[in-house]
Order: sequence, then C-alpha cells, then structure tokens
Amino acid sequence: MALASHSHRDPGGTYTFSSRPRAVESRSKYREPPAEQTQRQYGNIMYDRRVVRGNTYAQHILPTPDLAEVQRQQAVRKRILARRRAAEQLRLRTPEPLQGRRHTDVQTDLFLEELSEVIEATDTECQTDEFLDRPATPLFIPAKTGKDAETQIEEGELFNFDTEVQPILEVLVGKTVEQSLLEVMEEEELACLRAQQRAFEELRNNELAEVQRLQEQERRRREEKERRIAQQKEVLKKERETAEKVAALVYTQQYLSSLLPAVFGSLRDHGYFYDPVEKDIETNFLPWLVAEAHANLEKRHASRELLDNRYELLFTQPSNQKTTSLSHNSI
Amino acid sequence: MAGSVTLPGRAAVAFGRWSVPLLFGQLDRKEGCLVPVLASLCDLIHDPEKLYQTVTGGFVEQLKVCLEDEDPAVRRKTCELLQLLTGHSTGRQALLSSSLLPPLSEMLDDSSSSCRRNVHLVLNGIAQLPAGAHALLPLVPKLMLKLSQEEEEEEVEVLLLSTLSCCSRVDALPALASDGVPLLGRKLSHSSPSVRREAAAAMMALSVPVDGKQQVCEEQILPVLVDLLQDDDLEVRTNAAGVVMNAAIITAGKSLSLELNVLPVLLDLLSERPEEEEERRRRKALVLYCLRALTSLAEAPKGRRLLREQLPLLERRTEDRDQDILRAAQTAIRVVTWTP
Repeated sequence: MALASHSHRDPGGTYTFSSRPRAVESRSKYREPPAEQTQRQYGNIMYDRRVVRGNTYAQHILPTPDLAEVQRQQAVRKRILARRRAAEQLRLRTPEPLQGRRHTDVQTDLFLEELSEVIEATDTECQTDEFLDRPATPLFIPAKTGKDAETQIEEGELFNFDTEVQPILEVLVGKTVEQSLLEVMEEEELACLRAQQRAFEELRNNELAEVQRLQEQERRRREEKERRIAQQKEVLKKERETAEKVAALVYTQQYLSSLLPAVFGSLRDHGYFYDPVEKDIETNFLPWLVAEAHANLEKRHASRELLDNRYELLFTQPSNQKTTSLSHNSI
Repeated sequence: MAGSVTLPGRAAVAFGRWSVPLLFGQLDRKEGCLVPVLASLCDLIHDPEKLYQTVTGGFVEQLKVCLEDEDPAVRRKTCELLQLLTGHSTGRQALLSSSLLPPLSEMLDDSSSSCRRNVHLVLNGIAQLPAGAHALLPLVPKLMLKLSQEEEEEEVEVLLLSTLSCCSRVDALPALASDGVPLLGRKLSHSSPSVRREAAAAMMALSVPVDGKQQVCEEQILPVLVDLLQDDDLEVRTNAAGVVMNAAIITAGKSLSLELNVLPVLLDLLSERPEEEEERRRRKALVLYCLRALTSLAEAPKGRRLLREQLPLLERRTEDRDQDILRAAQTAIRVVTWTP
C-alpha cells in the first residue's frame, strides 16, 4: 500500500511533510497500544480536538520557516536585545547617595498627601429592585404618514347581486337537478322494465295455464275417447263372440241330432255295446274252452304223431333208402 | 358530470376517459384501502357510458380478486358494484360470461350478513334474465337449503324467493327435486306480506309441471291458498289465484278445489270492479287468473253445474275493455256451456 504521508528533509535543512488527504481517525483520550488497533476508525471531525475552532481571521498562521528568514529573525532579535541593553545603559539615573546619606522621596507640594498603600475604600452596596415582569411592549403604532382619504361603496354600485348570482345558481341548481333527474330516470327505467317483465310474466302464466288446461282437456278427452272406443270394441267383440257361439250352438245341435243315433248304431255295430255276461263268456269262457279243446286235440295229435313215428321207425329199419324217402314223404 | 369535490370515503376520480381505468388500476395494485376506490366506482357505474367502458375494458375479471378479499367491507362494496352491473343488459351478459358466479356462490356462506344480502341482490339481478336464470339453475339446491335454514332476515328471504321463482320459471325440476313444495308451503303462512307474495309466486312457477301440481295437491297446500286468496295484499291474492289456476288443471286439483269451496271465493274476487284505470290495470292479472281457474274448474261436472248458475257474472266480464280478459271470459263461458 502506497504511503499516504510523505516526509523528507530538504537539502537546506528544513523538514517538509506532505500527505494525501485522508479521513481523520478518531483517537481515544488514552492511547491504546498500537498493536491492538486493527481497524482504523474514522471519527467525527466535529468532535476532534485537533481541529481548529472559531474564527480564523486573526489567527496566527504558523509560517513555514525558511532558512534565510530564520537567520534574519534571529539577527533581528539579537539587534533588539542589544538595543534595549544599550538604551538601558544610557538611561540617566540619579547618582548613588553618599556615605551616611539616604535618598528618600519627599513631597514638595503645598499640601502633604498621605501616601499610603491602603487605599481608602468604602463599600457601597447597591441592590437592584426586584425584577418586575417586563411590561408588554406597547403596540408599535407608527406615526401617521400620508394623507387620509376615504371612499364608500353605495348600494348597487359594485355589482347587482341578483343578476350576478343568477348564472352561478343556475349552474348549481341545474347540476343538482340533472343528477337527481338521472337517478330518478334510472330508477324509473328499472321500474318500467320490471313492470313490463311482470306484465309479460302474467300473460305468459295465463297463456301457459290455458295451454295446460287445453292440453289436459285434450288428454282427458282423448283418453275418454279411447276408453269408449275400447269399450265399444269390447262390446262388439262380445257380440261377435256370442253370435258365433249361438251359431256354433245351433250347428252343433243340428249336427249332433243325427249324430247320436248314427253313433249308437255304429257303436253297436262295432260291438261296443255288449252284454257283459255274453262278453264275459266270450272273453273268458270260450277261449278257455277252446284252449282246453285245443289242448285236448294237441294231446291227441301228439299221441298220433308219436304213434306215426313209431310206425315209421318200424317200417324204415329194414330198408333205409326206402324209409328215408318214405319218412321224407311222410314227414 | 360530478364536480371535482370528493366526498369523504371516496377516492379521487380522474377526468373523462381515464376515470374507470385509473380506478381499476388502483384496485389492481392494491394501494392502501380499497373501499374508497370501490365507492367511487359505484358512483361512476351509474352512468351507462362508464358501465359500458367497464364491461368492454374487461375489468370485470379484476373484481374476482376483490370478492375473495378478507375485509368484509371490500366484499360488500364489490357486490354492490356487481348489482349495479346487473341493472344493464351488457353488464348482465358480461357477468354471465365471466367466471364470477362460483365465487359469488361461495359467498352465499359468507360470515358478514350485509355481504350475504348484497350477494342475494346480485343473484336476483342475474335471475331476471332468462339466460341468467338458466345459469343459476345449478345453484338452486343450495338456495333451497339456505331457505330451509331460516336464519336470514326478511329482506334476504324475499330476494331468495324471488330468485328461486325466476329460476323455476325457466326450469322447475331442480327446485321440485329439493322438496320445494313443502318448504314453500311453510313460507306461505309467513307473517310478512312480501315473503308471502314471493313464496306464492315461486309456488306458481313450481306448479307448472305435472309433478308440481300433484305435489301441491298432496301436500295440503290448497287450504293455505284458499286463506291467501282472501289476504289483504293484492299481489298475494294474485299469486295465490295463479297457483290455484295451475293446480286445478289436473283432476285431483279440481276435486280438491271444489271440496274446499274455492269457487265462491274466486267469484267474489271477480265481482269487484274498481273504476280507476290504475287499479284496474293492477287487478288485471288477478282477474285473468281467476277466470282461468274457473275455466279449469268448469270442466268438472260439479263445477260446471255451480258455474252455470253464475253465468251472468261471467257475461258481465265479457264487456270488459281489455282484450285478454275478454278472451278469457269467452273461453270460460264456452267451457261452462259445453255439453258432452
């Protein structure tokens, strides 16, 4: 860091010092050891003892000592001293008193004065009066200067209030009335709209009710009609059915009237009407009889067969060829 | 238009074209207190030009942030602003097309009652428009829930009922599905006439579909309505007559009404004839509804018999000047004199 201060000794012997301007550091009253000072604190210049205070008009400025100047001043001083000494020596003094004599001061005036060291002094006291309140300063009424003059404004001379105030009043009243009219109009407009809407709503409700009523009426009538139609259809169907039934009845009666004897006849023919005893005899007895008879016959037949076979065997044993053809024939 | 003197509690307003954008810029940057800015905006928005500027400048979306602010005063003022927007068609459409409806429906459960009241005002404004009512239909169950909780003040109840009736005119099914008819039946016997009026109007809207009519007959609403037909307030009577008119269309309604002796009451209402034009105009709706109700009732044989005796009264009504009343009276006479 470049040194802010720069001092060197002039070759003439004077010592010069210059430094870059830097903020004055604050210095405590009691100097701390320099090692502890780490950060330079910059103090307030106003509270620095080293700063010059007061009016500097008549202050002595330390002159920069020049060598020749210094020598001259020294010479001057010596000269002054020498002169003073010389003057001192030249001063006339009364000669010293002779032996046994003494010089004294004597007053030679007409009247003797006591020359004493003690100065007669009298003590006098003085006391100011009690402080009174300072009286109010009298109004400063400057002396009257100038000339008096007066003037008076009569009525009607300056301006006519009524005519002048008219435009202002007009504006004020007009603005107020305009504003209020606007507000009233706005409200009226809204009320008008509402009324219109209400009227429309009423008509709409009316017509809606009418429409619904008519719809309902239509519905009812249609339902009624449909019901009646259905009813009528039912009736017709029933009638038709009854007619058909009647026709069927008559026809069947007619058909059946001839049917019955025919049926009976055919049944009888087919043998469905039977005498149970007869039937019983037929079904049970006669088959049994027949079966028995058949069995009997079978027995006879069997016995005859047996006999035939024996005869065959008898006849065929002597001649096999004849008997085989015979047996074939006989069998 | 307004002077340059600012009232206390209002922010300073720039001149001319810059008034609205500047205030919205302040809202956006959230400089200090928002309530004076919103109050100035409310004053400005009354002017249709400024409203149009707000809507076309797309500033409405910025209000969404204000709706979710913590300070209830800010929310209340924002709702006032939105309510002013619903006073004009462009404002309503902007409100519908913006995404402000979900935050508004959240605010129905707000802690501050004045906020809730303002939200109801906004919803009422939106519901007056058919497209708006259509958009509010998903909210109907929540609104019905609010109605059933019964902790709201009368004004808020009136607004709620009015919103519900507007929505139900578009489509009554959501309200019917959330037990609309019993709930409204309870409200019909409220002490305040405005609540009764709005409840009857909502009931009229609900009784348009067939389900509603059946529910009206089943839930014993008709006796209450007969009482309301003799109420002091004209509007209440009108709306009650409307409900009877709707309910009498189905057969059950007809029979119930005839049992409850509604006919004499309706005939009484018809027979009053005020002279002034103003009164007549106000009574027009009542007369129309009564005539239609009588027409429906005349389709039942018993009703027809009773009404045949009252034919002169109806004929007197055909001499009325108004076209609609004339038509209605003629229809009534036609139905009464019809023979199968």
